[in-house]
Amino acid sequence: MNLLNYVPGNSFLHRLNPITKLAAAFLYGIACILCDSIWMELAFIVLMIAICAAAGLGTRALRLTRNLLILGLFMFVLQLFFVRTGEALVTIGHFVLITTGGLTSALLLSLRVVATMLPLMLLFAITPMNDLCNALVKKAHLPYRYAFIITTAFRFVPLFSTEFHEIQDAQKARGVDFETKNILRKMQLVAPLCVPLLVSSLEKVNSSAISAEMRGFHLRSRQSGYKEYPFTGSDLLVFVLLLALVAFSAVFL
Amino acid sequence: MIVADHVTFQYADSSDPALKDISLKIGDRDFIGITGTSGAGKSTLAMALNGVIPHEFKGDFYGSVKIDGMDTVEHQVEDFCRKVGEVFQDIDSQMVASVVEDEILFGLENFGVSHEEIGARLEKALDDLGIAELRTREISSLSGGQKQKVAIAAILALEPQILVLDEPTGELDPESSREIFGLLRKLNEEKGITIVIVEQKIKLLCEYVKRLVVLDKGSLVFDDVPGEVITHIDMFKTLGINVPPVAELSHLLRLDGLWNGGITLTVTEAEKMVREVLHDPV
Ligand SMILES: Nc1ncnc2c1ncn2[C@@H]1O[C@H](COP(=O)(O)OP(=O)(O)O)[C@@H](O)[C@H]1O
Ligand SMILES: [Mg+2]
Repeated sequence: MNLLNYVPGNSFLHRLNPITKLAAAFLYGIACILCDSIWMELAFIVLMIAICAAAGLGTRALRLTRNLLILGLFMFVLQLFFVRTGEALVTIGHFVLITTGGLTSALLLSLRVVATMLPLMLLFAITPMNDLCNALVKKAHLPYRYAFIITTAFRFVPLFSTEFHEIQDAQKARGVDFETKNILRKMQLVAPLCVPLLVSSLEKVNSSAISAEMRGFHLRSRQSGYKEYPFTGSDLLVFVLLLALVAFSAVFL
Repeated sequence: MIVADHVTFQYADSSDPALKDISLKIGDRDFIGITGTSGAGKSTLAMALNGVIPHEFKGDFYGSVKIDGMDTVEHQVEDFCRKVGEVFQDIDSQMVASVVEDEILFGLENFGVSHEEIGARLEKALDDLGIAELRTREISSLSGGQKQKVAIAAILALEPQILVLDEPTGELDPESSREIFGLLRKLNEEKGITIVIVEQKIKLLCEYVKRLVVLDKGSLVFDDVPGEVITHIDMFKTLGINVPPVAELSHLLRLDGLWNGGITLTVTEAEKMVREVLHDPV
């Protein structure tokens, strides 16, 4: 399953203005970056999961957290050996391997990465790309051309992966064994597929552009969008809460 | 009305013309099928009918295509792209949105249909294709047949006079293919929309279209009512176009002088024919 696709729904999160969602995800991320406490980073993660669970997105939030923790683990290991402040924690002979400073800063950094990324990733679950772009065009005056490029890019990712698998299947049918565990061998097998994939991708992009053009793409203006994205009281509330959270994090944490 | 007059087109990076001296008249309320083997030039012709060729593809274009008297070379695409709407062959890449209603709204918004009217047009397009319940669905989650209907609805919402469809049933099962043809017939009969459909399924074409055009290596080889075109079974075989086995059977029986009725297209018709030939009534 794709962890970045939209999860249809009508929860309090879904109903927010797309711009509010985007801003809220960023503000939450900023609060996490400003925070310097391991426990509070953990609290941020738990709070985010709880909010999502309340909106019926608990599983998505947990799965994303799990995947982000893998990324976090990588950061943790790097940081653990690079930071050499504090007292020695693990030594091999005279060589200090891990320090207390390394451990705390590694924990903080990796949790911070998870806490910051989580809301941004969850944004995709509650916001259809089209709505986000249309709202940005209407309210934030983003040129439609850019909005269209962004939505198209997102739409094409799954198309490309289907395409890639189709080409791969065609190769498999000719007896190429892609199941090999050897990374180098696998890269050797996959690299030649990139050219046909690129060609067919360019063709797809071209035919998409033609189809858009034939439906009056370049006649479009900022006022064209039919759907309105009004801000409501709950949007205001979310803005206020998140600004408060950022301020709190900056001053106290 | 579209009049193609001695149209020849050669893609810029190609050594052979994809269309050779094609003349074709498409009248109001027509229901025309275009068939031919892969690479025969069907898509190229379909795109030449609404100006995509030569405006969006580089190449040498000779002759003329006139849409209601407007020469496609002399006018901009937006002058006639609402008159002649096209559903392209690659269904996924022609979608511009991720949700069904956004896909249909796209053209309506661009062409500046007033916001009072737009909602009604959206709903009508959905209803005409019987996909009202798909309105808020993600396009990527739809079946091939459903996607096809969304693509048609998106064009139909713009109220074209002529609808060109490039192999809309190419990836569909027989039942959904028939459904699409049924929908097109309804649009043709009830709304008076001219339908031009590129299609490889001879049987469906013979059953639904009023006129059948056959292309081979860029040339137009037949342009007649399907009942007449299908009698040239030998020609179809030399061109490499698949015909239903029952049609071939009736053709062979005719050659042997055993049958002097028409070409049969369905198993039921063929059964009747065989019983008649064998003097074995039910
Ligand atoms: N974009 C293109 N550039 C160059 N040649 C093309 C292009 N598209 C199609 N052709 C060539 O033109 C001929 C007709 O193609 P097409 O109209 O797509 O046939 P069909 O739809 O009947 O399968 C083919 O020989 C094909 O290789
Ligand atoms: Mg084609």
